[in-house]
Amino acid sequence: MTTFDFLIQGLGMAMDPMILLYALIGVTLGTAVGVLPGIGPALTVALLLPVTYGLDPAGSLIMFAGIYYGGMYGGSTTSILLNTPGESASIVTALEGNKMARAGRGGPALATAAIGSFVAGLIATLALAFLAPHIVKLALIFGPREYFALMMLAFVTVSAAFGDSAMKGLTSLFVGLFLALVGIDQLTGQARLSFGVPELLDGVEVTTLAVALFAIGEALFVASHGTMAADKIEAVKGSVWMTRADWARSWKPWLRGTAIGFPIGAMPAGGAEIGTLLSYAAEKRLAKNPEEFGHGAIEGVAGPEAANNASAAGTLVPLLTLGLPTSATAAILLAGFQQFGLQPGPLLFVTSPQLVWGLIASLLIANVMLLVLNLPLIRLWVKLLTIPKPWLYAGILLFATLGTIGMNPSPVELAMLLTFGIMGFAMRVHGYPIAPVVVGLILGPMAEQQLRRALSIAQGDWTTLVSTPIAAGILLAAALALVVPMILRLRGRGEVLSRLAADED
Amino acid sequence: MIHDLRGPQGRPQRAAFIVAGLLAALGGLALWQGFALPDKGGYAGMGSGGLPKFVGAGLLALAAGHVWTGLRAQGPLPPRIQPAPVLWIVAGLLAQLLLLKPLGFTIASGLLFALTAAGLGRSLRITLPVGLALAFAIYAVFDQLLQLHLPAGWIETLVFGG
Amino acid sequence: MKTPFFGKHTLFGAALAAVLAIPAHAGDYMIMAPAAPGGGWDSTARSMQEVMQAEGIAGSVQVQNVPGAGGTVGLAQFASTAGGDPSQLIVGGYVMVGAILTNESPVSLADVTPIARLTGEAVAIAVSAASPYQTINELVDAMKADPGAVSWAGGSAGGVDHITVGLLAKAAGIDPTKINYVAFSGGGEALAAILGNQVTVGISGVGEFLPQVEAGTMRILAVSTAEKWAGTDAPTLMESGYDVNVQNWRMVAAAPGLSAEQKAAVTADVDKLVNSAGWKSLLETKGWANTYLSGADFDKQLALEVEATTAVLKDIGLVK
Repeated sequence: MTTFDFLIQGLGMAMDPMILLYALIGVTLGTAVGVLPGIGPALTVALLLPVTYGLDPAGSLIMFAGIYYGGMYGGSTTSILLNTPGESASIVTALEGNKMARAGRGGPALATAAIGSFVAGLIATLALAFLAPHIVKLALIFGPREYFALMMLAFVTVSAAFGDSAMKGLTSLFVGLFLALVGIDQLTGQARLSFGVPELLDGVEVTTLAVALFAIGEALFVASHGTMAADKIEAVKGSVWMTRADWARSWKPWLRGTAIGFPIGAMPAGGAEIGTLLSYAAEKRLAKNPEEFGHGAIEGVAGPEAANNASAAGTLVPLLTLGLPTSATAAILLAGFQQFGLQPGPLLFVTSPQLVWGLIASLLIANVMLLVLNLPLIRLWVKLLTIPKPWLYAGILLFATLGTIGMNPSPVELAMLLTFGIMGFAMRVHGYPIAPVVVGLILGPMAEQQLRRALSIAQGDWTTLVSTPIAAGILLAAALALVVPMILRLRGRGEVLSRLAADED
Repeated sequence: MIHDLRGPQGRPQRAAFIVAGLLAALGGLALWQGFALPDKGGYAGMGSGGLPKFVGAGLLALAAGHVWTGLRAQGPLPPRIQPAPVLWIVAGLLAQLLLLKPLGFTIASGLLFALTAAGLGRSLRITLPVGLALAFAIYAVFDQLLQLHLPAGWIETLVFGG
Repeated sequence: MKTPFFGKHTLFGAALAAVLAIPAHAGDYMIMAPAAPGGGWDSTARSMQEVMQAEGIAGSVQVQNVPGAGGTVGLAQFASTAGGDPSQLIVGGYVMVGAILTNESPVSLADVTPIARLTGEAVAIAVSAASPYQTINELVDAMKADPGAVSWAGGSAGGVDHITVGLLAKAAGIDPTKINYVAFSGGGEALAAILGNQVTVGISGVGEFLPQVEAGTMRILAVSTAEKWAGTDAPTLMESGYDVNVQNWRMVAAAPGLSAEQKAAVTADVDKLVNSAGWKSLLETKGWANTYLSGADFDKQLALEVEATTAVLKDIGLVK
């Protein structure tokens, strides 16, 4: 049978009403747990995996795919509506998504996230089916030096996208880098800045920081205006659905997000966050109205959400073709395979094509099911924002801490939430951007580790960083991205750029 | 929105100096850590002290930058904020932190909810029962139904057993 | 953990114990997995839960996750709250032995009551198919000539992979501080570095390499256990002339301060678990090897390994 026949067969199997019901249950359960901040798709699947134990293989596989996609989607809903990222890959979504929600455009934001995720999931899953063997060859070329170059590119483009006041942006970024130092250094096992507190040895959890800065910091900020604040949240302004203009502005970011997210997800050390960050930076640069960024630009939701889903499909490339679980999510998918007594590996496509295609078909079905379930719910979700402020923010805080408690009910973790929440509040009051702190925490350790790995392998020879065409090329691109805007700015053409980026948090 | 609260005023920026102080403290800490770690860079030539030194130097430079702007610029007036509601919420978070283990999820998180809503202008007499009921419902759904392990206190053990 | 929460932990533990005492199921268990959901210790704990309930060994079994610092956060909490309570168990493993030392943890395995080793896996040394090294001896000779030129990809610093390389170097007469060990997070990333020929050689759990060997993309040069490992005919390090014997095992321990009868009762329950049909079929689906060892034999083995690990971590320079 050809690739295509297997896919059709898998889809046919999945059309059974019972199977569809399993998919629905899986998606619903996955969304319910996945919305909790700090509990990403990997944990969601780990927690709910036992639910699938009693089912037959087909049902179990589809439920599994449903939980997985539901868990991924849940994170973006809370990012957009409550400014509370459910997982690290949906942090970027909160930047523009929540601004849209506050301006009464929560409906279109949720819709572009859902449809963008669907489109990206669809394209990426098909790419997985047909291109996986080629992409994986490319991904293996990436070693530590290439990853280091990629991190530098991400740093430069992302910082450029966040900066109005260079000083304030850099300050935020360095605070993030400082936080990234906390914990055990992976390459030597030495503890840094943990002062003998065992809970600090694993460092600052990205979602803890993001939830604290975004959700708690904002609740405090809103409270500090007391009753005099006039910014009533308008739940719906204009259409709940995407307008023609929204569609026109969304489809290109969806495709670009997919194109960025999929290959980076396929790289063994890529990860979903980098894809979303690069996509956000790209959309901001390419947008016709970059001044809208920071105030609710739909492109800034559409691109990163597509990238996030595409990179999730991307992590399946090394898993299915090489048997490499390259992310927590992929590791959890491995556990799903083990239920059937199978070890994913280089030969999986050859030895058990039914299972692989069954999984791919299940992912497609779950993807559709998610869209079917969520589009009608959007009208209900945006109603959340009509809840009077005292109840809404009390609910957000209850919910924001719930994820942390569910994952690790440690007082130290809650104390971190409180500390970073107050820090986020102070930063808002004084106009420091929030996002670069999170970027520093995510990219800092990755860049550091890849640099030191590259140097270790080359026995301390720094020229190794530019010794391959790919590494040198990416570093050159990063250097250009840093230098060109400076030249433009010097020529006075950057004025517009810098004015536009003002006041975003 | 932030700009509504701050008008341009010709006074030295106290905030800039405070920020500078904090950055200098963090920078100093990072530098100290960078130099205090025994170097195990091995073949890389750069050990776990490298990044702390870099970050520390960067933070100190930024602290200097803040001092410079603080002296020079016409700083905005410090924003007017109402401390009372902020303190209510911080109290709620603290209460949750301290009571979670001894009294369980329902009471601790119910209190967080109640104090937050109270800080934003509702009466505690209403928010407390609402918060407890909501937290209990969340416990029931997530712990009992979805197998997420949440800390149990006497309420939870009374209702659902050990 | 000498914070105010210490007292509250105890209070909480006492309250829980009191509540548990009322229904008085003799066989109820609370198993702590000192790691986040999804990892090896978590799945060990959840597998125990599943089988103990299904086989009727215990009435109700709950799993609690306390992640952090190679299990030492969970271990410290367990040691301080579970004291004297025979219904509490904790899962752990060899990684914990190393983590206790490298993190200078105030609580060690001596502060709990180790019951039994449940499962284990060999550590394997492997190269990509394109590598010039055909045997472990060739590789070690290259290391002797220029230790820096042989880069090792493996798991986190101070973990079982790193320890094994250190032991190998020591056994071959190479200065363990001179090994060029490059730590990667997670097996997948290290494996990618090996397959992509970014490093000279890789070291990881044998299970990670077997599918690659089957596909012809990698060669296993040696395994770390005393006997050959099922699924590969690679020689052991012992057979190749290096006195190294390492197994990455997982174990279960009970609370500190148990009476001899209580310890015997828990051991009997674990014994029932390991000998049940459910556990055997579960090991098969998970691909785990049964290396069950309990009682005085396990205690003796554990003491030996703690001693050897401390020595090698000192040699590598990770522990003062």
